[in-house]
Amino acid sequence: MRIRTVALLLTLFGILVVFNFVHAQNAPEASEKGKEVYENSCAHCHGTEGRGDGSAAENLLPKPRDFTRGLYKIRSTGTGELPTDQDLFDIITEGMPGSSMPGWETALSANDRWEVVAYIKTFYDGFKEAEAPPKQINLSGKVPYSEQSVETGKALYTELGCVECHGNIGRGDGTSAPDLTDEWGFQSWPANLTQGWNFRGGSDTEAIFKRFIGGLAGSAMPAFEGDTFPGFGLTAEESNRMLELDNKDEMTAAEEEESGQLYEKYDAAVDIALNLAEGTELSAEEKQIYDDAMKVVYEKSWHLANYVKSLMPEKRPEPAIGNNVLRSQYLQGALPAIDDAAWETFEARYFPLVGQVVIEPRQFNPTLDGVHVKSFYNDTEVAFLFIWDDRTHTTDETDEETGKTVEDALAVQFPVKIPQGPTAPKPYFLGGGRLPVYLWHWKASAPDQVTELTAKGINNAEVQEAQGELQAQGTYTNGQYKLWVKRALKTDDKKDLQLEPGVFVPIAFSAWDGANGDVDTKRVMTSWYTFVLEPVPSSKRFIYPPLIALLSVGFLFGLRAFVLRKNSEEA
Amino acid sequence: MKKLSLFTICLIILVGSWVFLRFVVGGIISVPIPGSVIAMYMGLIIIAILVHISVEDSLFREFRRPILETLVEDKRRPHRRVLVVLIPLLLLGYTYSIIAQRANPPGSPRDAHPSPPLELTYKNEVIGTMQDVVNPFRHYEKDDPEAFKAHVENGRRVYHQNCFYCHGDDLDGQGHFAPYLQPLPANFQDPGIIPNFQESFFFWRIAKGGPGLPAAGTPWDSAMPIWEDTLTKDEIWDVILFLSDYTGYQFRTFGEAH
Repeated sequence: MRIRTVALLLTLFGILVVFNFVHAQNAPEASEKGKEVYENSCAHCHGTEGRGDGSAAENLLPKPRDFTRGLYKIRSTGTGELPTDQDLFDIITEGMPGSSMPGWETALSANDRWEVVAYIKTFYDGFKEAEAPPKQINLSGKVPYSEQSVETGKALYTELGCVECHGNIGRGDGTSAPDLTDEWGFQSWPANLTQGWNFRGGSDTEAIFKRFIGGLAGSAMPAFEGDTFPGFGLTAEESNRMLELDNKDEMTAAEEEESGQLYEKYDAAVDIALNLAEGTELSAEEKQIYDDAMKVVYEKSWHLANYVKSLMPEKRPEPAIGNNVLRSQYLQGALPAIDDAAWETFEARYFPLVGQVVIEPRQFNPTLDGVHVKSFYNDTEVAFLFIWDDRTHTTDETDEETGKTVEDALAVQFPVKIPQGPTAPKPYFLGGGRLPVYLWHWKASAPDQVTELTAKGINNAEVQEAQGELQAQGTYTNGQYKLWVKRALKTDDKKDLQLEPGVFVPIAFSAWDGANGDVDTKRVMTSWYTFVLEPVPSSKRFIYPPLIALLSVGFLFGLRAFVLRKNSEEA
Repeated sequence: MKKLSLFTICLIILVGSWVFLRFVVGGIISVPIPGSVIAMYMGLIIIAILVHISVEDSLFREFRRPILETLVEDKRRPHRRVLVVLIPLLLLGYTYSIIAQRANPPGSPRDAHPSPPLELTYKNEVIGTMQDVVNPFRHYEKDDPEAFKAHVENGRRVYHQNCFYCHGDDLDGQGHFAPYLQPLPANFQDPGIIPNFQESFFFWRIAKGGPGLPAAGTPWDSAMPIWEDTLTKDEIWDVILFLSDYTGYQFRTFGEAH
């Protein structure tokens, strides 16, 4: 009886495993059901014909995928290959972080998602015509994460030219960043590699590796192969040597010959890769050369993936609410300048930015992710350090579409009067005018100046007549702005915010990325947060606790003496 | 095995109850109990223990016996030494943690269902009283299903050109801007939202947005736009049709009101 039960359970388990395995590999035949789900949940962005031209597409960037060309960014398959059904299913399930594609795990059943996969494939005939299943990228040679691998990857980052788009240290601020477009001619910003949470296909090392080998089809990101891979066909030593010789001012005859040979080897391997891409059958010898070349590419890609992984925090920082609220630290004496090491002693608080979609003109496609803030204060002044990533340094340019002058900027917003108590209304800043706000407005064109404004609504700001003693300094390096602002805690101006330790003050931000067309109300912003000048902890904390401890010792001894006396009396 | 003393049993009951409330109910079953409620329960348990030990003299004597022994008897000297260090240390740590506690930001209570004005307006034009206005296209649902479908489709377009950034592709309030807004955008898949309101209420909230909230609707930080600046009257009514059509929930109608 028991054996039979076990056998039955095992069989059921086996069926489940097989079922899942089969299911995980291939979508069902396209059906009416898939069409129905697609039209209800997907068509508004991707269009009823799958051309990525749904009614929402107009306002979106990155644009919704056009399914009719069979070009998919996020694949587990090699360059030029179609995605597997599982790839499509995973994207639908998990969504594309950093874009407007949400994950559908809760909204659609797994069955419905598989039906949609099947239906999406009908938009491109290549899926039907494919004779063999797409070739998947081999992950078996994974190089484990280590300091050394990261170092190797760092050198490759420069050697392979990643810098040109992704910038010196990966903030997506390379020189060609603003000019990149995708297959459809739309603007395509290179990823900020320090913000893994915005990676479309996830940011684990395997995912990054797959993007290298398979490329991001349709985007400016090339797959690592053939002519897009410097030193293709050479071993690591050979490509290093080639680079070394290239950098020499003068070469001896022997060196010139050596360099020539290396270039020949490189060209031959590239030719083989190009032939292969065109579908030419390779000879055994050619195939060997190609396989050897790819082995080097794979190894280098793992190092590079480890390097990219080293650039980002584990996950997106938590917004500055609850336990993460911004607390200005008390200092005795002078407050630190913009590049003082004192700023490195504690972690910044994070204020994520979203598009301003309330007042026209609106910003639906933000390019700025968030503002990181640190602060110190002393008995008379407060200093803030605002840090935010921006791929481009725009100071005074004319926007092609609107003809308006655009530039990068940041505004910090406080109430003029701090709301008393939690139910007191905060000043409303978008379109309303109930209570005024006090603004610091900084522009990239005048980096060492902050203007004080009073505003009653987003379109109703006035520069204050009395500009206080506000000191500011702004820098832009490697795709990152730093703005340092210092002000007295108390001012004589009634339109200014007056600061006091221990009081929670509402704070909000607006930011403009000139290169993204941000100007006036077209901007990114945060909702209200709070910050506090963290009061110096009361010195009572060094008096009362020891006092209470001493008292308790006294009490214990007293109790013992009392009991002893009572016992002796009784005896 | 040695029989446990009454004092030990009471101590076990006390500590056990606290661990149960704080970690088993609060952690494993994950129904976190507020600290004040735990304190209340613990108070009750202490009273119960005190009542129990003071019922009879003999019980009380048995209860205090281990305490007295620890205080005076020679064989308990090691215990005594540990306790005379441990008790003051615990008190020291506890008072320090209370005094050095950091202040936390004030919470913001929210009036989730602000009361609407008596009259429904679009820009400055009066449409009617809040209670009587009905969606002018709602009747097509019965009269002309084709026309109704066209209006729903138009609502779908309007929704996905304007609303889904915050309210989400699935109308669940989880659009890609949503996680970083406070308060969170409304979730239309919540069964407590659409069925509780008339269509005129939705028209009001859409047309006037966060800035149009009444004075009692604190705390004013809704990012909901004033849509009457951007959308036509018909577009707002269409998007309302789409909300109920997509989610399958029916708006409350006058007459059903309780």
